[in-house]
Amino acid sequence: MTVPIDQHIEQKQDVTFRIFRFNPQVDSKPYFDDYTIPVERGITVLRSLNYIKEHIDASISFRAFCQAGICGSCGMRINGLSQLACTTQVWEVLAKSREPGLIRVEPLRNLPLIKDLIVDMDPLVDKMKHYSNWIDSTMPESSMGKKEFLISEEEFLRYDKATDCILCASCVSECSILRANKEYVSPAVLLKSYRMNVDTRDALHGQRLAELVKDHGVWDCTHCYRCQETCVKSIPIMDAIHGIREDAIELRGLKDTSGSKHAEAFMSDIEKKGKLVEATLPIRTNGVFWTIQNLLPMAVKMIMKHRTPPPPPLVKPAKGIKVFRELFREMTEHVKQDHKSHKK
Amino acid sequence: MRFERMKPFDIVIVGGGGAGLYAAMEAMKTNPSLNIAVLSKVYPNRSHTSAAQGGANAALGNKAKDDTVEMHIFDTIKGSDYLADQDAVDVLCSEAPKIIRELENMGTPWSRMDDNTIAQRPFGGAGRPRCCYCADKTGHTILQTLYEQCLKKGVIFFNEYFALNLSVKGSRSRGLVAINMKTGRLEAFPARTVIFATGGYAKMYWNRSSNAAGNTGDGQAIAYRAGIPMKDMEFVQFHPTGLRKSGLLVTEGARGEGGYLINKNGERFMARYAKEKMELGPRDLVSRSLETEILEGRGFDSPAGKYLHLDLTHLGADLIKSRLPQIREMCMQFEGVDPIEEPIPVRPTAHYSMGGIDTDNFTRTVMSGVYAAGECACVSVHGANRLGGNSLLDILVFGRIAGHTAAEEAGRFEPGNISEAELQLNSDEIRGSMHSSGHYERYGELREELGQTLALNVGIFREASLLKKGMQDIAELRERFKRVRVFDTSDVFNTNLLQVLELRNMLDLAETVAAGAFAREESRGSHTRVDFPVRDDAKWHKHTMATMVKGNVSLGEKPVTMGRYELQERTY
Ligand SMILES: Cc1cc2nc3c(=O)[nH]c(=O)nc-3n(C[C@H](O)[C@H](O)[C@H](O)COP(=O)(O)OP(=O)(O)OC[C@H]3O[C@@H](n4cnc5c(N)ncnc54)[C@H](O)[C@@H]3O)c2cc1C
Ligand code: SF4
Ligand code: SF4
Ligand code: FES
Repeated sequence: MTVPIDQHIEQKQDVTFRIFRFNPQVDSKPYFDDYTIPVERGITVLRSLNYIKEHIDASISFRAFCQAGICGSCGMRINGLSQLACTTQVWEVLAKSREPGLIRVEPLRNLPLIKDLIVDMDPLVDKMKHYSNWIDSTMPESSMGKKEFLISEEEFLRYDKATDCILCASCVSECSILRANKEYVSPAVLLKSYRMNVDTRDALHGQRLAELVKDHGVWDCTHCYRCQETCVKSIPIMDAIHGIREDAIELRGLKDTSGSKHAEAFMSDIEKKGKLVEATLPIRTNGVFWTIQNLLPMAVKMIMKHRTPPPPPLVKPAKGIKVFRELFREMTEHVKQDHKSHKK
Repeated sequence: MRFERMKPFDIVIVGGGGAGLYAAMEAMKTNPSLNIAVLSKVYPNRSHTSAAQGGANAALGNKAKDDTVEMHIFDTIKGSDYLADQDAVDVLCSEAPKIIRELENMGTPWSRMDDNTIAQRPFGGAGRPRCCYCADKTGHTILQTLYEQCLKKGVIFFNEYFALNLSVKGSRSRGLVAINMKTGRLEAFPARTVIFATGGYAKMYWNRSSNAAGNTGDGQAIAYRAGIPMKDMEFVQFHPTGLRKSGLLVTEGARGEGGYLINKNGERFMARYAKEKMELGPRDLVSRSLETEILEGRGFDSPAGKYLHLDLTHLGADLIKSRLPQIREMCMQFEGVDPIEEPIPVRPTAHYSMGGIDTDNFTRTVMSGVYAAGECACVSVHGANRLGGNSLLDILVFGRIAGHTAAEEAGRFEPGNISEAELQLNSDEIRGSMHSSGHYERYGELREELGQTLALNVGIFREASLLKKGMQDIAELRERFKRVRVFDTSDVFNTNLLQVLELRNMLDLAETVAAGAFAREESRGSHTRVDFPVRDDAKWHKHTMATMVKGNVSLGEKPVTMGRYELQERTY
């Protein structure tokens, strides 16, 4: 595509923004307001909202700060998807919109609504505190600043991606478990917990993990992948979740004999995953591959850890859910046997 | 209306960016029994510190073994065009290695060198590669670390509280008045000491600024209205390549990889200004070159203003995808332009405010019990021009000093009593602009006009007649502001009200920027006077001090503290 060299022609089109409205002081329930404005190419949803606020209705309330996709303020649902308003191009949303010329803008889910597009972030901060989302340095405070920890590139890479998180809560908004259980730890907090756990400078690992395996913790996740698909920074959140689980199993396995219970929980996870995959097979074929490649070998490793004979050959990733179920059944048998032998 | 009254605090910190958070941590460490609060109009992790990509300078000597603190000091003083106070620069640079390691010890994920030490890279104006970084998210990760550590230490946060005014009795502060954004209520924070850490004011150039929407100089304006002087306000740093529509930065990397700057005649115009270095000349020179092209009519025209092209198309899709993925993504997200296919529309953008609240090396202001640190303060370590990577360092070093000093000195002051009547006065003032009678000016228009007149008349090139025009415009805008209307009358999260309050702050400070620029009849660092093109040490080797007298700016001066380094011409 070429651009005329000495003049700039802006193409424009009319766009209707259907905006979620709720003011707790006067409204008994939320409603939608429509605003139609001309939008040229290159304009983001946030700039459109600013335009509407400045020119049509000053009372629309939303958060925005950096306007550069780094502060995490402007998370909202745009045509049903939780994302950042400041990095989302209007024309791109329109191209995918089911209703021509219309963009729906709603607040994030799973956090208490304050007003219009603004939700309360405090529950997320409380969870960060609850799960000690900080480094408790192994270096005593008195000797800080004197020398560096030596950290390998390899270790850095373990948490590099996780530190991209800007706490925008888009993943939180899409998490299926949170919809049912507001106390659930939340994907972003799992991610942050993982980031702390793999940092060798940290002394809290065990304590944090102990908290993570309790109710509402890491075992509640259904592997639905929504968080990872949503993440505005493309962070592989599931790697973090699996990382924590693997870690938990290893730690537990060494310490007590209830390891197989965890194994069971884990197997039921895989089963759930299987079901989910089945339900959404057309769009998630990758998920199946991933599951077979990653979860099964891990389960095997687990069983081995509990000194049980290795299961019959079940490796080889196979296509489709049928094969998956087949393998799964075999696996389950094994866990059951393993369980029995433990009881004896 | 009822007002909330807090029990008195020993320290109230306004601002949860790098400076504010470090201050909070250090204050708790200095005296754990103190009652400390951090107020911030955004959740601390949203603060603009998160936008800093490049890194923070410290002479660790990890990359260049022969780097020294002394070299860092010299680079900083020279970079400042000799306007920095040399004793303050000593503090900044000597504390640097310690503070970077401290952050490292607390969990900041610095990128690493092959020998597993903190990685460093070269940065503009530095004689050695001493900029410590974490990929291209240095500010973000520093802010995360500090926020995490504050949560760990149990720092008390008042998030989404908007500081409104300092309550002043004679020459003493009683504490702070703030709006609880969630309820819309005014709340009084009586305090022994107050630390301002509210960040910069470069957003007054609005869409010709790389800054966050909230970098409106609130702390400076509050202090200024309370009678505390502002220092060197005329020094605003411009970055050459901001995106046309948003002002967001396209980092130097794009030119580093071989991007061309092109005018509407298709010329690589940098040949006119820097034959050898071309697009890679120093920041201020490249900014001035772009501006000249635009002023002389060789820019492209668009409804969003005149601009030039940063052309990467000749680099090819492969190189752009592999080496400049972030820049490409940014252009697509914010401007809707894919640099593989078309040139990027750019123009210079206001980036950093060197001026701010005048403080001593312990961050004290002239008002006892009031301190300031970070971009909102002017110690001064940056003088007429800040070096890249020195600002993150500034907020850390002086944020910590502020926390320490306030904690040590809090015992000397009594917390004041902020009366019901005073709160009522504050409240009436706010409510007043919500009435329709006599209030009709629109916030958006005033703000737009402010940004425009600043960019046009108090921008990169300055000249007496332009500055006069700018000052006139600002005075008119301040007059019109008295009739501004807050259209949203609700209490909960009234962002319309907050925008208007921020505009008031920008207008008050804009006057100091323009007045300082008009008075300073020389060219130094970021301040370029076409009518006074050379540095005039005899007359102007001094700080400008702006104080509010009867609602308007009054200028004074203060000598620059010299040290080991004599005045020299600044050439690179
Ligand atoms: C795009 C960009 C890139 C940069 N890159 C670099 C770099 O590579 N290296 C470098 O050294 N520097 C860089 N800088 C500069 C540096 O990031 C800033 O100078 C620095 O982060 C400022 O930190 P601070 O703590 O002073 O303020 P901020 O981080 O801006 O924090 C200000 C705080 O004050 C609060 N606040 C403001 N007003 C109020 C109010 N009225 N009431 C309550 N709270 C209030 C805000 O909520 C916020 O928490 C860059 C700047 C920009 C814009
Ligand atoms: S994978 Fe787990 S954390 Fe992520 S959205 Fe699904 S249930 Fe929530
Ligand atoms: S993990 Fe991604 S989506 Fe979730 S809060 Fe962090 S950046 Fe946002
Ligand atoms: S406004 Fe900061 S991420 Fe969108």
